[in-house]
Amino acid sequence: MYLCLCIKANLMPSFFQLMQRGFMVKIRVGCSIKSLLCNQLGLSQEYLEERIQTILLDGRPVDDVESAIVKQESTLALSAALPGLVGATLRKGGYYAPLRSHISHSETASSQPIQEGMISLKLFNLLLDELGPTFLKKGIWINGRDLADFLNGQPDDFWSGCKCATVDGKKFELDKLTQIKWPDRHVFLRVKTC
Amino acid sequence: MERRIFMDKILRINMGAEGGPKATEEPLGEYAGLGGRALTSAIISKEVPPLCHPLGADNKLVIASGLLSGTTAAMSGRISVGCKSPLTGTIKEANSGGQPSQVLARLGYAAIVLEGKPKDGTPYKVVVNKDGMQIAPDTSLRMLGNYDLVEKMKGEHGDKIACMSIGPAGEMKMSAASVACTDMELRPTRHAARGGPGAVMGAKGVKVIVLDDAGMKMRSPKDPEKFKEASKRFVDGLKKHPVTSQGLPTYGTNILANIINEAAAYPTKNFMWGRFEGCSNISGETQAETEKKRGGLATHGCHRGCIIQCSGIYMDKDGHYLTKQPEYETVWAHGANCGIDDLDSIAMLDRLDDDYGLDTIEMGATIAVAMEAGVAKFGDGQAAINLVKEVGKGTALGRILGNGAAVTGRAFGVERVPVVKGQAMPAYDPRGIQGIGVTYATSTMGADHTSGYAVATNILNVGGSVDPLKPEGQVELSRNLQIATAAVDSTGMCLFIAFAVMDQPETFQALIDMINAFYGLSMTADDVTDLGKSVLKNERDFNTRAGFTAMHDRLPEFFKKEPLPPHNITFQVKDKDLDTLFNW
Repeated sequence: MYLCLCIKANLMPSFFQLMQRGFMVKIRVGCSIKSLLCNQLGLSQEYLEERIQTILLDGRPVDDVESAIVKQESTLALSAALPGLVGATLRKGGYYAPLRSHISHSETASSQPIQEGMISLKLFNLLLDELGPTFLKKGIWINGRDLADFLNGQPDDFWSGCKCATVDGKKFELDKLTQIKWPDRHVFLRVKTC
Repeated sequence: MERRIFMDKILRINMGAEGGPKATEEPLGEYAGLGGRALTSAIISKEVPPLCHPLGADNKLVIASGLLSGTTAAMSGRISVGCKSPLTGTIKEANSGGQPSQVLARLGYAAIVLEGKPKDGTPYKVVVNKDGMQIAPDTSLRMLGNYDLVEKMKGEHGDKIACMSIGPAGEMKMSAASVACTDMELRPTRHAARGGPGAVMGAKGVKVIVLDDAGMKMRSPKDPEKFKEASKRFVDGLKKHPVTSQGLPTYGTNILANIINEAAAYPTKNFMWGRFEGCSNISGETQAETEKKRGGLATHGCHRGCIIQCSGIYMDKDGHYLTKQPEYETVWAHGANCGIDDLDSIAMLDRLDDDYGLDTIEMGATIAVAMEAGVAKFGDGQAAINLVKEVGKGTALGRILGNGAAVTGRAFGVERVPVVKGQAMPAYDPRGIQGIGVTYATSTMGADHTSGYAVATNILNVGGSVDPLKPEGQVELSRNLQIATAAVDSTGMCLFIAFAVMDQPETFQALIDMINAFYGLSMTADDVTDLGKSVLKNERDFNTRAGFTAMHDRLPEFFKKEPLPPHNITFQVKDKDLDTLFNW
């Protein structure tokens, strides 16, 4: 299924909790994190180096974005700079990385060819504001039950800021969106501002 | 010519003196040049018999401003509270934000020392202002919560004061009791909490210290021009760093929750798991959004002169003030660690902790241990609230819980009790971040994340470089961090400056230049290292004389035996490596 929502721009943060939990994107897997973020998703090298300070691949802090390979169904989490000793410890290639060496990501040569696939992406803190709207406009895949929970949990001011919706390409009344039985599998969500 | 305020005297109040409490003022003497943690630990180490009972006449409660408190220096509002801890039996320094540090320093006091033991349980009020000190019994204060107490003080002394107080937990001498410090809005939301200093204040019979600096001026530096120039460089450094200028102001310390959870180092349900399914419901991002939606604040300071603004104001569902923005540690302790993913329950627990005067980390850990024992169910927010209310009421169950996780674990026969030297661990599982485990194990304070927090060791160059491939690397880093932290804790600076100081050598130099310009000194980075080492040496020496040995520098056994999912690793740093930490 495919839901497209048209909303006021100030409602974008409403979707950020979903994006913290993780959403699926279709990409070409088997490449490095750097290749994914810069070549496929269009982020600048400077943004990757300066802004994205902490990267976790399948729950393991990454130090080298060129050798860490994104595989089918990998989970990639991206964060801006974090406070505290642990924040510094988790930073990619940081001075304090030895403090978490037991969980650090270490890459072995990729046995997977570069091919179409899906990964789970998690955006945290400042990156939610900076990257979240772009992903929402392009469209993300999320579990239908999570979408149902999200829609059911929205207050009145969310719905008053929603302008229109389409489901599977057809116009749909906003007040009936919560009545849809979303399937327990990935559905495609696009959110545009208008 | 304007008179300089020197912060060169100590106010000692003997609560056990014949005929009632007696106050004396004395010069700093051999403690000259020390502030904050350096001063509290020096006094405790020298004057308190290490084997004394923490609640007895021989223990002392030392309250000390930092070296730069009361000046125009940004971020200089931390106050240190030291004693022999009733929770750990070790030396203790707990520090807090809020207004008292600045006000006490402007009154010219480097420290207030509460000594002796009162004849009975009468609560006393201490007032310190430009005219001196008054102390008087006031039975109307008995068992007041911190919020009502401060409101009463406001009515009696006006709204320009700062208060340090204890709630019912301190009066009941519970080992998890805190000393509350008021914030800019004159609310008792900041706490010197770790290790139970509130119980020692309660044992001294002092319910509240009212500090009033009306008529006093800002402390002025010896070299105003150099101080101003260094202060500007320091502020510029904080303003340009992404953590201190963006991450912390936007989301507060709870910005850490999501990423620690993703790294599977977020202790969940009494340290059984490393990930919490409901993390995004209680993350800093969600918390900030909730605060803004309800008319609270996601960006706010805890004291005047704070430019990082990592705090906030949390409103309830109806838009009424409930508490300040709960910190990362609090949200974790009462949240993931108890399986609770409801921010409103967590905020209520934070409010109750502040009102009763309790350490939020200790209480969260304690409730989780009680939940593992079956006293309540993991995830039941209302049950957790009810348990904290038991503490406030001082019921039999409440008195067990109010004495911390170790006591509660023993009372209910729980094996998995995450404490070191009797103090509960904070929000990082040492199996995930093993270097933190080294600090938990070896800190002079018991399990304490802030002991190795001031991440400036690469700039200080203490201990040389670390080879990450060698196991001793973890120990070496932890040692360097503990030294650096002890030094920063002595300045009165908020520890959160560490983020900018770590990454920007010029910002660290600006901090040293500020101290030099203020006092007319010529300290170098090496001198700062020596200061940190001397603080740790004092503390370690006290602990040794109190009976602590290398055998106490250990994590609980389960961290070595129970693999932490999903990485399934145990704590692997060897005991022999831990034992080398204090070799320098």
